[in-house]
Amino acid sequence: MRIVSGGVTDVGRVRTNNEDCFRIVESLDLFVLADGMGGEAHGEVASALAVETIVKSCMDPGVDAGATLVGNSEPTWSEKTKRLTSAVHRANKNIYDAAEANPEQHGMGATLTAAWIDGSKLSIAHVGDSRAYLLRSGNLQQLTSDHSLVAEQVRRGILTAAEAEESEMQSVLLRALGALPDIEVDTDEHVLFARDIVMLCCDGLTRMVTEPEIAGTLQAEIDPTKAAEKLIALANERGGVDNITVIVVRVGAESRGWFSWLFGGARKRAARNGAAGGS
Amino acid sequence: MAKLSLMFEEKTVKEVPVGTRPVSIGRSPDNDLPVDNLAVSNYHARVYFEGGRLVVEDLDSLNGTFVNDLRVERATLHDGDSIWIGKHHIKVDASGDAPVPWDTGRKASAPRINETMVLDTKARREMLQQAAATGERVQFAAGRLKVPTLVVVGGRTDQKEYMLTNKLTVIGKSAMATVKVKGWFKPAIAAQINQRDDGYYIGPGDKMPTVNGVPITGPVRLNDGDVIEISGVRMNFIFRE
Repeated sequence: MRIVSGGVTDVGRVRTNNEDCFRIVESLDLFVLADGMGGEAHGEVASALAVETIVKSCMDPGVDAGATLVGNSEPTWSEKTKRLTSAVHRANKNIYDAAEANPEQHGMGATLTAAWIDGSKLSIAHVGDSRAYLLRSGNLQQLTSDHSLVAEQVRRGILTAAEAEESEMQSVLLRALGALPDIEVDTDEHVLFARDIVMLCCDGLTRMVTEPEIAGTLQAEIDPTKAAEKLIALANERGGVDNITVIVVRVGAESRGWFSWLFGGARKRAARNGAAGGS
Repeated sequence: MAKLSLMFEEKTVKEVPVGTRPVSIGRSPDNDLPVDNLAVSNYHARVYFEGGRLVVEDLDSLNGTFVNDLRVERATLHDGDSIWIGKHHIKVDASGDAPVPWDTGRKASAPRINETMVLDTKARREMLQQAAATGERVQFAAGRLKVPTLVVVGGRTDQKEYMLTNKLTVIGKSAMATVKVKGWFKPAIAAQINQRDDGYYIGPGDKMPTVNGVPITGPVRLNDGDVIEISGVRMNFIFRE
């Protein structure tokens, strides 16, 4: 699968500091996004630590020499899914330990949503209320479940989705990295198809922009970085009350046969001119 | 000045102003706002001003204090809020001082607690317990093990029956599709069935499926027994116990 990606982060219109952090590792097709919390500059510390730990653990298998996988894992999961999940457990522990060691950082934490693409397999690891979406044939599907109080109340039938959107409890999370020494990580594996679009974003986007608008923007704008920029601009137009981060990943068609041989050259040239993406 | 109106159904039972002194609410008659109901604790809650904000505080009542359907221990009140105590509710009229106005815009009103916070284990357990008690009925309905299944009743596919165990199901000719459709000129992704929080939704792929004979353009929630037709394949969507 040919993968093209881009990511953008923005402080928004209200806040003065950006507590979000993201990383695109093109060589691995690894995409990581974290939204920090904890006041002062500590949210930034937590989200950066989360992203750094995940990227390190995934890049260097030596860190995770086989048997040292952290947390529960299903035997059916692929090696990469296991490693990604283990990396999230590790990030949780790193943030928790850092907060314990530095009293002024006490209470810092981060949400984390990571996607790792291996051929046609997509691994997702997730904690918190950032989201991963899949746009397939015009249908936008949320791949992750929000670990927020209001989302849990919707799942239990106490609130309707509309009531949840109005709730003042939206910022109350049930799970985040760094809050407890041990954590439950949501892990999922999906099969990717040509022309799928995967998007990771923090709640700064989804509280300001509706899902149909996200689907429309992703379909209209082919360049991933520009699509991310347009979504951020839309969130800022609506008030931009929180930091906004968006990663867009487009899955290209399988390159094979005389047809792609014919057009492959032109495509390569176009890709070289496109924005590189990443931070 | 802020005013509290005790309501029972649509009738106003009593009105009290909130001044510098806290207004106590409870079943005991010595409260500023007595509520005569067995579901109400003797000293149930109180309302007072704190730093210019009107605040309601639950006094460890047995059945809880709810602000606009959400159980609270302590919450800032806004003009037009309702405090629910048992079967009664108390309307909050803070229009006189309007210290904390609501944004009424749907999207603009979203983040009222600005800082994201994580519930600690104790608070989380309590909130979830409360949530579980209210949502018990729904939980049980979802708890029974029902596996959504596609039963092929017409057309050529690689299996006769498919259990939808994944969040995403693709129907099409693609080798990676869950439901593989056979034959010439079939689309790689004909349609898709996705699991959401409240059920299973069918959406179009390269073709537009019909559900019970009606063509669909966007995601449509599937019900037990629905008949899906796509690319010459006819399937029954059922929940198997």
